[in-house]
Amino acid sequence: MFLLRNDDTPVHLASSRPIDPNEFTAFMRAYQDMVFSTAVRLTANPAQAEDISQEVFLRAYESFENLRASQKAGGWLKTVATNLTLNHLTRHRKRWRLFSEIFSEDTREEEFEPAAAVFDTVLTELETDERSALVEQALARLPDHQRVPLVLYHYEEMPYQDLADRLGISLAKVKTDILRGRVAMAGLLAQSGVGAPSDRPRLPPNTRGAQS
Amino acid sequence: MSSRDQIDEKLERLVGQVLREQPLQRAPASLEARVLGELAARARLPWWRRGIATWPASVRIPVIAGCAVCVPLVWILSLWLAGHAVSVAAGPLTSLRGAAQVAASFGTITAHIIQSIPREWLLGGLIAAATLYASLFGLIAVGYSLLYPRPQYAKAHLT
Repeated sequence: MFLLRNDDTPVHLASSRPIDPNEFTAFMRAYQDMVFSTAVRLTANPAQAEDISQEVFLRAYESFENLRASQKAGGWLKTVATNLTLNHLTRHRKRWRLFSEIFSEDTREEEFEPAAAVFDTVLTELETDERSALVEQALARLPDHQRVPLVLYHYEEMPYQDLADRLGISLAKVKTDILRGRVAMAGLLAQSGVGAPSDRPRLPPNTRGAQS
Repeated sequence: MSSRDQIDEKLERLVGQVLREQPLQRAPASLEARVLGELAARARLPWWRRGIATWPASVRIPVIAGCAVCVPLVWILSLWLAGHAVSVAAGPLTSLRGAAQVAASFGTITAHIIQSIPREWLLGGLIAAATLYASLFGLIAVGYSLLYPRPQYAKAHLT
């Protein structure tokens, strides 16, 4: 069994299954952005996301027999990427969960309307590239306990109850964290100059990776 | 529906739309090479260091059969050893009883010492321990609140 590296050097793979070398490489190329995006949006750490993506594709290789012709390969990869990332985060989460629950400040109602206005501006006034960069930056700078449920709710469309079960927190806390996450994200976008005159300084590059 | 719910719903819809329209992030160029390199490294492992599912059938079947035979053998051996151990352990059990009596006498002495300490001292000690514990907990909590990075979303930025 052989696979081609980027430099087209043949790589021998021990497997009794007849995996077409180019087929797995093509499979990986087709899905690697999706897998990486899933992991990096949850971890906000590109290095960890790359490790997780690697593990996802190693598992995909083990199951390639079933995945190669499956219409659900993308869904399978996304689920594995999400589960591996959540397992990774759970290992570190016990350290901050206690205090994050003690210091749970209320989100004020008067913050909702301006937050909605910020997102309205993001949608209507920003060019796609600029919007993409600012939104990813703001998302990455949210604390884990807000970003993780927010990403799972909006990107993975996971219901509140499933989120509470998966994250091991109460339903009320899930809802509160998502709500706070939205308002906090609006605040970060506003800080970066969304809805402000164009000469307003933008956020510095993402520093989230340095925090973890 | 209250105005708060309406605004909340609007915010949810807008955030959902913004996030769903985000393009995928490009995976690092090194990812593909890393995966292929790891697969190649695994391929270089000898067969006996890989999963049993990948072992040659000529080895896998005898190993599984051997394991199937081993389970009842280990069970029978465990029962025999347990019966044998009871008779062998009769001697050491006697000395264990002696050790338990010595431990009990230490307990009695400790109880006498505690009873001789004024109750005010004991209570004071307990209160001091609880206060120190609470202080340490508070210190860590304050440290966390000051050091844990949280985004600043002051109202000034939103209005």
